[in-house]
Amino acid sequence: MYRSAAKMLLPAFYRRRHQDTISHIRTLASTRFMTSAPTGYIPDQNPIPPSSNPTDTSSSWKEEERTRHQDEKSSSRTKRPKAHYKDEEARVLSASLLHVIRLGWTETAMIAGARDVGVSPSIVGSFPRKEAALVEYFMDECLERLIDIIESREDLKNLIPSERVAKLVRLRLEMQTPYISKWAQALSIQAQPLNVPTSFKQRAMLVDEIWHAVGDDANDIDWYVKRTVLGGIYSTTELYMLTDSSPDFRDTWAFLDARTKDAFDLKKTAQEAQRLAEAVGAGMGGSLQGFMKRVFTG
Amino acid sequence: MATLVRSVARNLMRKNLSPASTLHSHATSFGFKDVAEEDKSKMVGNVFTSVASNYDLMNDLMSGGLHRLWKDRLVSKLNPFPGMKHLDVAGGTGDVAFRILENIKNVKHRAIQDVLDDDLIEDTRIYVCDINPNMLGVGKKRAEERGFGRDKSLVWVEGDAEALSFEDNSMDGYTIAFGIRNVTHIERVLAEAYRVLKRGGRFLCLELSHVDIPVYKDLYDVYSFSVIPAVGELVTGDRESYQYLVESVRRFPPQEQFAKMIAEAGFQKVEYENLVGGVVAIHSALKF
Repeated sequence: MYRSAAKMLLPAFYRRRHQDTISHIRTLASTRFMTSAPTGYIPDQNPIPPSSNPTDTSSSWKEEERTRHQDEKSSSRTKRPKAHYKDEEARVLSASLLHVIRLGWTETAMIAGARDVGVSPSIVGSFPRKEAALVEYFMDECLERLIDIIESREDLKNLIPSERVAKLVRLRLEMQTPYISKWAQALSIQAQPLNVPTSFKQRAMLVDEIWHAVGDDANDIDWYVKRTVLGGIYSTTELYMLTDSSPDFRDTWAFLDARTKDAFDLKKTAQEAQRLAEAVGAGMGGSLQGFMKRVFTG
Repeated sequence: MATLVRSVARNLMRKNLSPASTLHSHATSFGFKDVAEEDKSKMVGNVFTSVASNYDLMNDLMSGGLHRLWKDRLVSKLNPFPGMKHLDVAGGTGDVAFRILENIKNVKHRAIQDVLDDDLIEDTRIYVCDINPNMLGVGKKRAEERGFGRDKSLVWVEGDAEALSFEDNSMDGYTIAFGIRNVTHIERVLAEAYRVLKRGGRFLCLELSHVDIPVYKDLYDVYSFSVIPAVGELVTGDRESYQYLVESVRRFPPQEQFAKMIAEAGFQKVEYENLVGGVVAIHSALKF
């Protein structure tokens, strides 16, 4: 699911493949939503699908409903299409998120989540990094939601790049507001040495997604600079948010706007500096070439 | 060198026993010997009856105390939780069961914030199932010594791993430590494990396994074929049982093959971890 670090090091190649990867993520997300939808939204005592509209969706609903019924009647020993453990893990994690506010990003929350969806809490032991899996699941969910927003919201496209970046960072950070009291804990989990590779990748993907939404197609050294700068803005705003007690995090958003503006100004300065360097380089190169020529001929 | 001796010995044994093994179509192995299926459990039973009293001492001597760490690792992989229903098969001496119980009581302290835990800890049940009453006897005695004598979380059950007396979907966890090697039908044990586990329940198996690292493998072979039976004879006066032990380890399917067997029993997310270069391996799997 994650783009590998190798791809991160090969911007040009990566850029070419970018379109494929995104669509891959999207299909993954949709299958996961499909499998979790029937248990999540349809109450057990009311299994009547909206059969009045004979559309494709309703017939597939009916089908799922029927198999679910058979499952409930027959014990698990009879042959039924077995749930894949990845789907079940996702169900457990999404149920665990409801307990995070009370219990924090802990195994206890995961045990409670597993009980909620009727899976043995034993499953928690099979997550190699336990509570990190919960944080990472949340990060993935948020990224998927952000991608959906980028695609569906028209008003974003009318903003100028700096505003668009600030808006997207804000939208993403707002997804964390329900968990703000426990978010410091999540950050400390992400910062543990074992979890750093994944959390770094997730942040890189997020930043990349935002730049992509802004319509940035650079594949030179600029690519690294842009991502580093935005990563810095995102992370500092995230930290600022932890101690922000202003209503609706007003101070945080002001801070974010200021930092984004700084960065875009810096970009202009950097571009000017780059041009200057290029000019100087050309001049130096000319004289160097002349010098070499003189050395070899002389 | 030891490998050579072993393969010669095996060939000789094969030759001598080949008429017998063709007579019994359902032959199985008892160490390097091929025996009839119905005899294996009796022979294994004899082994454990004869070693029960010195079991712990021998484990310490043979593994250099490492078996304690291996069992700790098994329990930490299991990640027990309050309110758990756990089945420890072939765990007569209670080694694994005590560790699980202690772990749950520690977990309780760590998660004080969850009020529910207090009721749940009462619901915790760890069933220790062993086919051999002598081994269970050792375990019960040790439970008394450790102060678990009156703990109703521990339940001692005499039973066969191939035909468990527990209901379907009743267990959160299933462990079998140094036991599955001794059963007659590994597939039946796996099928039973699958049957009794709940959805999301975990199967964990700690077992002596196969070493593949070149020089280390030869050293290990010398150690197990020359040292272990000799030590066994010295301590318990029973060389045969320990000869059986080292031979049965060689007969047990290698890590990959055993993992495949677990997957065939219906388990998902089958993984294994080699400890000490494969001297022991912990296989883990998830039921759905």
